[in-house]
Amino acid sequence: MKKRPWRKNLYENQEYPDNYTDESFLKDLRVNVHFQPISLKDSTLGATLIVHELCTVIVFVIIYVYLYNHWSEPNYIFSWTCGATLFCFVAYRTFYGSIRTFGYDLQTVLLFLVFGQLFSPILYTLTDTISTDTIYTMSFLMMIVHLIFFDYGLSVAVVSNSLSLSAVIFASLCLSSRLATPYEAFILMTVSIKCFVLFPLLRNKIKTSFLFTLIFVILVAYFLTTVSILMTYIFISTIIFINVVCPLIFIRFQKYKDNIYGPWDEAIVQSIDMTE
Amino acid sequence: MTRCICMVSDFFYPNIGGVEEHIFNLSQCLMSNGNKVVVITHSYGNRKGVRYMSNGLKVYYIPIKVMYNQCVLPTYFCNIPIIRYIYIRERVDIVHSHSAFSTLAHEGLLVGNLMGLKTVFTDHSLLGFCDVSSILINILLTMALSACNHCICVSHTGKENTVLRANTKIDNVSVIPNSVDTQMFHPIPELRSKDNVTIIVLSRMVYRKGIDLVIQIIEKICPKYPEINFLIGGDGPKRVLLEELREQRGFHNRVRLLGTVEHSEVKYVLNKGHIFLNCSLTEAYCMAIVEAVSCGLLVVSTNVGGIPEVLPKDLLYLTKPEVPELIKGIESALHVVKSGQFVCPYKLNLRVKGMYDWRNIASRVEKVYDLISFKKKRTLKQTFQCYLSSGVWPFLVVVALAHLMLIILDIFVPRENIDICRNYPSETRKQIKKD
Repeated sequence: MKKRPWRKNLYENQEYPDNYTDESFLKDLRVNVHFQPISLKDSTLGATLIVHELCTVIVFVIIYVYLYNHWSEPNYIFSWTCGATLFCFVAYRTFYGSIRTFGYDLQTVLLFLVFGQLFSPILYTLTDTISTDTIYTMSFLMMIVHLIFFDYGLSVAVVSNSLSLSAVIFASLCLSSRLATPYEAFILMTVSIKCFVLFPLLRNKIKTSFLFTLIFVILVAYFLTTVSILMTYIFISTIIFINVVCPLIFIRFQKYKDNIYGPWDEAIVQSIDMTE
Repeated sequence: MTRCICMVSDFFYPNIGGVEEHIFNLSQCLMSNGNKVVVITHSYGNRKGVRYMSNGLKVYYIPIKVMYNQCVLPTYFCNIPIIRYIYIRERVDIVHSHSAFSTLAHEGLLVGNLMGLKTVFTDHSLLGFCDVSSILINILLTMALSACNHCICVSHTGKENTVLRANTKIDNVSVIPNSVDTQMFHPIPELRSKDNVTIIVLSRMVYRKGIDLVIQIIEKICPKYPEINFLIGGDGPKRVLLEELREQRGFHNRVRLLGTVEHSEVKYVLNKGHIFLNCSLTEAYCMAIVEAVSCGLLVVSTNVGGIPEVLPKDLLYLTKPEVPELIKGIESALHVVKSGQFVCPYKLNLRVKGMYDWRNIASRVEKVYDLISFKKKRTLKQTFQCYLSSGVWPFLVVVALAHLMLIILDIFVPRENIDICRNYPSETRKQIKKD
């Protein structure tokens, strides 16, 4: 007698053994359903975001080295960074914001300046008892934490704006406590705020481009040569690794993407929030 | 021949759910077929030690603290002495673990494999491949199944899922569904309201069961159809949302929340309704809808996972897991109820009876036991090779350490010193029945 055809249900098929596998097994399997290949240009542009933040951190450290070794007048650094910030601020407000918040902005700046001045005498002696090596190691680790948790524009679990900002502010506090005078410590803290709070805001608005990245990297590399030639080589090779090698590897490995979908997947529904 | 089967799972009575019910019913039927069954689970509050349940089902509530979601901490070592003791004491032949979420089940499998017992694993749930938690559990499952003699899934979709997740040989995976006690879940039409139509929702109040959908449906259905009332049983983190909805929209007389419903009470709750609503977002085998149909209710359900395999299309209203589709399903069920065209509940009960029977399920599971009991006992090397085939080679360290612990235990707690326990006198029970 011919068997009845197997059906995918649980109440018929008595003629078949329980571990029977039909030909239709896994026919509903889907692979890479929502897959969109990312082009080399897109992935390289994405990598420039990391390069920008890395360069910002290095700029900050170079300014510290200049202040620490008295290679340049503190006033000189202060006025140049303030001038640049003012220029960027005006551009930012004209193109992306409204002028109406100007009063509020001024209030914030004044508040920061007053408190910065007030606390910088405490700051510059804060870690006198701790050895400089410890401070440098700590700052290095905190900068790494900052770079890992920084918001590069992707919604992933590791992104934490508050953690990355706190880490870098802590690092700059550590570094400014190595400086000779309270005025220098105050300047370094101001630079830190400019680099890590204000500059990312501006960079978010201007679209990333290769030209901007190139100019930025060359400027940083030039100033880095005044600090250390070896560091410049390391810096440039790191940049090449991040911005050229990594995107290439990413494109190469994209073909190994193998996401499996099937009837077992959890249906996605809008989770409702009654508080709204 | 009498076998001794040891069911190991974190989930057992007094917890309520599909797995718990499965283990209990399966054990009962296996016992009535002349097998000896013991259950190992972790302690629930004051409930620790050895307990006997109906017909002498012996349950060991091991005194371990629960870590998260009714699961014990996955140490893989700490419970080896006590599990080994029980296996020897009860002369266990087959270790049958349940549910991939249960860490105790994985430990039971490991100890069973190393002691040379035959092992069976039943997977009760479906898991995706995308989020971190399922990836981790999939690794655990791969390790557990690589040395397991046989695996049982509760639906064909479940089998596909398990084979993909754990890389097992297809022939070692059987599909044996859950079942329902049609005697217990029988229709009591007197309990139904004559004037109103009652919709029953009975599930744990968690995201996976689609409570967010239920809330949106209630919000839309209640103002539209004044004759519909909701009766909702179950508890969980999402219950607050339902209560809030009731407060905000003033549905107090329309939506009744029962909280946790005892298993023995479920049939009375089901029989108060006309329509059963299941909004699960993923489900390997939905026991609730089978119970509802067995009580003669019209069932509206999402067509996720293994649900389309469970019952024939003419007994259910299957819809996509979306609010408008589900509402359409409810409306057509409502139309049938109002016009009085629905199938006689007793006939539904009979149909389900023809499809599902725990005794049939138990005999199929016994066939699996027969199949694996012929397999040769593995040598230590073969066991290790099995575990190595899972690809998670660091796990071998754990296996090796567990093996060493068993050797040490053999020296300090020799097998001869462990009392062999007496079997529950099932013969006398039969005699009493005869008298």
